Amino acid sequence: MGCGVTKTSEFNRKFDKDGNVIPAAITMKAAVLIQRWYRQYAARMEVRRRYTWNIFQSMEYADLQDQIKLYNFLGYLMDNFTPPSSERNLISHIFRENEVCRDAEWERYFSYTNIDVPDIYSGPRLTFPLDMDQAADLVEAFKKKQQLHSRYVLQLLLETWKLLKVLPNINRVSTCHSKEITICGDLHGQLEDLLLIFYKNGMPSLEKPYVFNGDYVDRGKDSIEILLILFAFLLVFPGDVYLNRGNHEDHIINLRYGFTKEVLNKYKLHGKRILKLLQKIFSWLPLVTVIDQRVLIVHGGISDTTNLALIARVDRHRYVSALRPPKKKTPSRTNVYADSERYDEMIICKNRRGSLTFPKPFGARESFQRRSLQDFSRAVARTLEEEFEVRRRQGEFSLSSFSKSHRILSSAVSSDSEPESSEFTDTSNEEWKQILDLLWSDPMSHDGCIPNEVRGGGCYWGPDVTEGFLNRHNLQLIIRSHECKQDGYEFCHNRKVLTLFSASNYYEVGSNRGAFVRLGPDLVPYFVQYQATSMTRGLSFPQNVKRTEHTALKVLREQLFVHKSDLLSAFQEIDKENTGLICLNEWASAIERVLHLDLPWRVLHPQLVSSTTDGRLDYHGWFRDLALKKPSSEHIEQTMLETLYRHRSTLETIFRIVDTDNSGLITFEDFRQTLKLLSAYLKMEISDEVINKLVISTDTNNDGSIDIDEFMEAFRLVDKSRLERGKSLLKLMQDNQETESPQPVYSTAPQTSQCPASQPADPPASNTTDSACSQTANPPALQTADSPGSLAEDCPASQTEDLCHISVVVPPQ
Amino acid sequence: MAPKKKEEPKPVAAPKPPEPEPPKEPEFNPAEVKIEFTAEQIEDFKDAFQLFDRTPTNEMKITYAQCGDLIRALGQNPTNAEVMHVLGKPKAEEMQVKMLDFEQFLPLHQHICKAKDRGTFEDFVEGLRVFDKEGNGTVMGAELRHVLATLGEKMKEDEVEQLMAGQEDANGCINYEAFVKHIMAG
Repeated sequence: MGCGVTKTSEFNRKFDKDGNVIPAAITMKAAVLIQRWYRQYAARMEVRRRYTWNIFQSMEYADLQDQIKLYNFLGYLMDNFTPPSSERNLISHIFRENEVCRDAEWERYFSYTNIDVPDIYSGPRLTFPLDMDQAADLVEAFKKKQQLHSRYVLQLLLETWKLLKVLPNINRVSTCHSKEITICGDLHGQLEDLLLIFYKNGMPSLEKPYVFNGDYVDRGKDSIEILLILFAFLLVFPGDVYLNRGNHEDHIINLRYGFTKEVLNKYKLHGKRILKLLQKIFSWLPLVTVIDQRVLIVHGGISDTTNLALIARVDRHRYVSALRPPKKKTPSRTNVYADSERYDEMIICKNRRGSLTFPKPFGARESFQRRSLQDFSRAVARTLEEEFEVRRRQGEFSLSSFSKSHRILSSAVSSDSEPESSEFTDTSNEEWKQILDLLWSDPMSHDGCIPNEVRGGGCYWGPDVTEGFLNRHNLQLIIRSHECKQDGYEFCHNRKVLTLFSASNYYEVGSNRGAFVRLGPDLVPYFVQYQATSMTRGLSFPQNVKRTEHTALKVLREQLFVHKSDLLSAFQEIDKENTGLICLNEWASAIERVLHLDLPWRVLHPQLVSSTTDGRLDYHGWFRDLALKKPSSEHIEQTMLETLYRHRSTLETIFRIVDTDNSGLITFEDFRQTLKLLSAYLKMEISDEVINKLVISTDTNNDGSIDIDEFMEAFRLVDKSRLERGKSLLKLMQDNQETESPQPVYSTAPQTSQCPASQPADPPASNTTDSACSQTANPPALQTADSPGSLAEDCPASQTEDLCHISVVVPPQ
Repeated sequence: MAPKKKEEPKPVAAPKPPEPEPPKEPEFNPAEVKIEFTAEQIEDFKDAFQLFDRTPTNEMKITYAQCGDLIRALGQNPTNAEVMHVLGKPKAEEMQVKMLDFEQFLPLHQHICKAKDRGTFEDFVEGLRVFDKEGNGTVMGAELRHVLATLGEKMKEDEVEQLMAGQEDANGCINYEAFVKHIMAG
């Protein structure tokens, strides 16, 4: 590896300030020295990047556990209400089906014709049938942060619904005529990524077919815009745009992960109808796509029982939500619910890279009754049936059209269970499982097929299952999404399974790249990776790493703080003499025992622990350093705070379900009941007095209602280290307003002359809203009240060039 | 003849000849290395080792190519040549393929840790000072880039870019003490 011969050294002759030649040897030494240091620096960056990634993945798994907690809680509710207790109203709230039945009636319900569009609306005015130019205009409009008027939204969705109803469960595509097909993975409401893909690859057209592999919504803030764009192109090019359903195309999931909230915020008047229509549309989305009869594209994956012939036959629209199967199970009321503690103990050991570590991950727990979405939904359906029965008798209930089964069901109830209904039921259960498997499964490295308990639905499937499946169906490759990958894509199972993820910066700015893939007639995948960096223009790679790391650590510190009680007991068990000190090794293993996050705690400890003496850590001091409670929650007792914090997403989801008029408020009574039920479920005491205190701590409107957002705010912890760094109060408020999708919070590094993209968090730049047409809309300035104020003021709305990106084109493997 | 400068540049200590490859050094024998790390240190190394483990089944193995990165991540800064030396001078195609486990890694790391000259902040500054033509505490960014990419254990263009990003002022100069602090602080 020399440095090149005489020629180069001549060229590289250096001179000092007196004009004397510096010997090449010294120059060389200097160069090597700098290079050594650089490489060390790069290695340290890499370590940080990696553990930051691990933290995010672990947090995601913890979050998925939350989802299971939600199901458990709902299950508990179903099991434990007794009519006519007051809680029953709350629960029937949660599971109530709305009125309306046949398609014709639905069309009337979704009618848009009497929605007027005010003259001052400057967004796109769609005329149907749509054409290519209108679709392109729609993209442009969204780029400019305009919002489509609800009239056109409903119209577009209705047209989409009509089209989807005639599509088969399995899209069949061919790469004839040397057409390359472009395939995209999860987008999760991240419009910048979709725009970036269109920019790099061109928009869908006759020459440019696209397959989108589900998860268009939730988490990101522009889910509805993404849907509208995809549906528009679907309508214009029905033979060249293919949409698969993802597990997030599900209205109950949307309640928890933000899409419902987004729509209701953007469309205050018609949001509910839009959501209802979307509910139907989601259920009508095709399940899989097959290219050239050789490549399967599906959102989640497969299981050992996946059977495409069966998939082709199912009535897919009956499977509206992962939480609502279409039929009941035969009444053998096995108690599938364990109590919360035992279930929560069943936290799976997670591999940092998202596949199972151990050959038998469930070890001794195999005997334990496994809760899955299926089990739960069966139980839900069971009690729904009881509900129907009661209501039917009361004459209130009218059946939904898509559940003719329910009619059968309730008559079955009244005349005792019939033998054929069980057979009927088994078929639908089988279909139900098939669909869950398609939308929820994840690959694992070991052979076999086991229930996916991290997600609560679908399976973990191994390479042998892939092999078997491909052989049976004469396929050569499975392309799926569903899991975030640092480089946007990843092969596994001997390159027979490809995971493709198109939402860059998913966890945090800089956390990962997105990717899309092109397939030509040779079916060799050609990847393009990218990262939408409109928020980080001007930041170098190391600064990026630091920012991402900072967020990850903050999240991690919160987790540590809310598990304080458990951690404290773990520490005290070790520190029997009560010295208040433990050594680092014990600290690390105790944390892992409590949190089960499978993180490199020793590597992380310099970031989490400010000081140790003789390798021992003062854990009381450490807790004090971690985080502060907000003043409004000061009076709440620590364990209560931790519990509420841990279950906050469950609470929030329930609140939103209960808030049936979507006002953002729930009654005090509902609030109280929810908390009481949660505490009973958790076997925790929560007295009325405590509940009252909780209510008082958040500003109520003095009319007996509670603002959900305000209440949830009380449980955001303040990051103490930032406080102590003396950041301005404004910055502090901004940080506390951070929601799931990262806000463009800037570091104090001076920006380059080009201004970063303005990101008005909610309000569109134009003056259109869908509220009462007679009023003039508010000028934008007022509407930006929520977004980080300084940003909106500093930056002119620079638009299309903002999508500065890093892209690496990977040649076909 | 050594040029006269304001300060004598401290020569980098003896075991670092200009050529990256020390021709006379005997082959490295891991068995001969005595491990002197404490148990705590070994735990630390294990944690970091796991971070680099990319095997799908978590076998606690890393590729040869990652070995240097891991050693550096743990605080050492060997040259590439030194890394290759402790790896037993593997061929280029072996780097991505051959793996080592934690037990095999320890002696390599120990050997590097024992190397006498590790280079301090001052050494680093001195290295940069070589390029300080005016003796005013700055070096030309362009010159530094050129050197790093063409001399010694050459860096790739994007590596140079990453290193230098945001360090040059309007005149293309770098204040190297600040630069060094930036690198060392990570």
